[in-house]
Amino acid sequence: MAKRTTFQCSVITPERAVLECETTSVVFPAHDGELGVLVNRSALLCRVGIGAMRIQQASGMQTLFVDGGFAQIVDNRLTILTEQSKKPEELNTEDAEQALVEALAMDMVEDAAFTARQRAVKRAKIQIRLSKAK
Amino acid sequence: MANRRLLVKRRRAVRNIRKITRTMQLIATARFQAAFNRATATKPYTEKLTELADDLSRAAGDVEHPLMREPQDVQRSCLVTISSMRGLCGGYNAGVLRTAVKHLIEQEALGIQTDISMVGKKGINFFKFLKRPMVEQITHLGDKPAFEDVEPIANALMDRFIKGEIRSVYVSYVKFISAAKQQPVVVRILPLSKEDTKDNVTEAHEAQASIDYEFSPAPKELLDELLPATVRARLFQCFTDAIVSEQIARMVAMKAATDASEDMIKLLTQQYNRARQTAITMELLDIVGGSNALK
Repeated sequence: MAKRTTFQCSVITPERAVLECETTSVVFPAHDGELGVLVNRSALLCRVGIGAMRIQQASGMQTLFVDGGFAQIVDNRLTILTEQSKKPEELNTEDAEQALVEALAMDMVEDAAFTARQRAVKRAKIQIRLSKAK
Repeated sequence: MANRRLLVKRRRAVRNIRKITRTMQLIATARFQAAFNRATATKPYTEKLTELADDLSRAAGDVEHPLMREPQDVQRSCLVTISSMRGLCGGYNAGVLRTAVKHLIEQEALGIQTDISMVGKKGINFFKFLKRPMVEQITHLGDKPAFEDVEPIANALMDRFIKGEIRSVYVSYVKFISAAKQQPVVVRILPLSKEDTKDNVTEAHEAQASIDYEFSPAPKELLDELLPATVRARLFQCFTDAIVSEQIARMVAMKAATDASEDMIKLLTQQYNRARQTAITMELLDIVGGSNALK
């Protein structure tokens, strides 16, 4: 039997399945830094952070914006559940910049508000970067 | 004579109505397709989340989470009722509102006050008519509720629940079971119970031996994030389900209206023809009678 070199990767949001493909390697933002996945990785359940995930496909590298959620790896199947995910071509630099301005203006008095602000700023910054890189 | 003219006029009016109802039926069919696709697109997410929650709670052992507590001393709960923005959808709104009111009466009998969050104009008007106060009136969601729109509603509810202001959260909506069957239901989304997290898990998954996961961060912390996500996803699912049911209800109602107008046109045509024939016979009789008199 030929050795397995690829694994399944799917990215699912509440509204749709964003991506469903065979891939050789995936790098996604975990809650504590980036995490790379290759074929035959052991089972993992992990929290996803905000950032860009990179998926190596036969046709080339694909980038996706993910906003929190969970990742599960079982039997060479990586499933990312996230509340929001966008392809770079769906992102708009102006909208993202507007979001950044709004995020920076957010209240940061309480702990919860401060974290929310941090998240919003990070989200906006990554979206700007991704939308410019496309 | 006047009778005949009247019949023609009425028939024309009914034909116009048929044209309108048929168009509305077609629109509802198209919208139903779109809504149905959206609702099915939501399923994988919810199912996967429940599966993860199941795996996690198995790994974490006995879980204690603020969202799973059942406060007994709070005498206030919350009901989110999902009605439609527009009418002409048959018994759809009547169904939801009837179950909602029934639920309210039951809760009152138990001595529990219920805060009502009403989604959709039709429900708002009905409750205004009943003179029941509503805590929240939501009308901005439209036909395609985005997850981002539903998220704040769910977050606010969870916030109030954790603070101990409310003891439970119910949602009343029309559940989409199949294209032929929809049912108005009241479901509890908070507090989460163990059975709730299990009811969607597929049997294949149940049978599967528990997988030895590597967790990052610890299962307890993961669960802290996962449970709110489950609540959000379930509320979102309610909304998408309700939209599908609404479109089906509208489709059926408009189909019935089109059929009824067809029957009516048939009847009117018959009456008109009969009236016309009577008039002709009368005239003929007049002429024959006249010529006979001249002979």
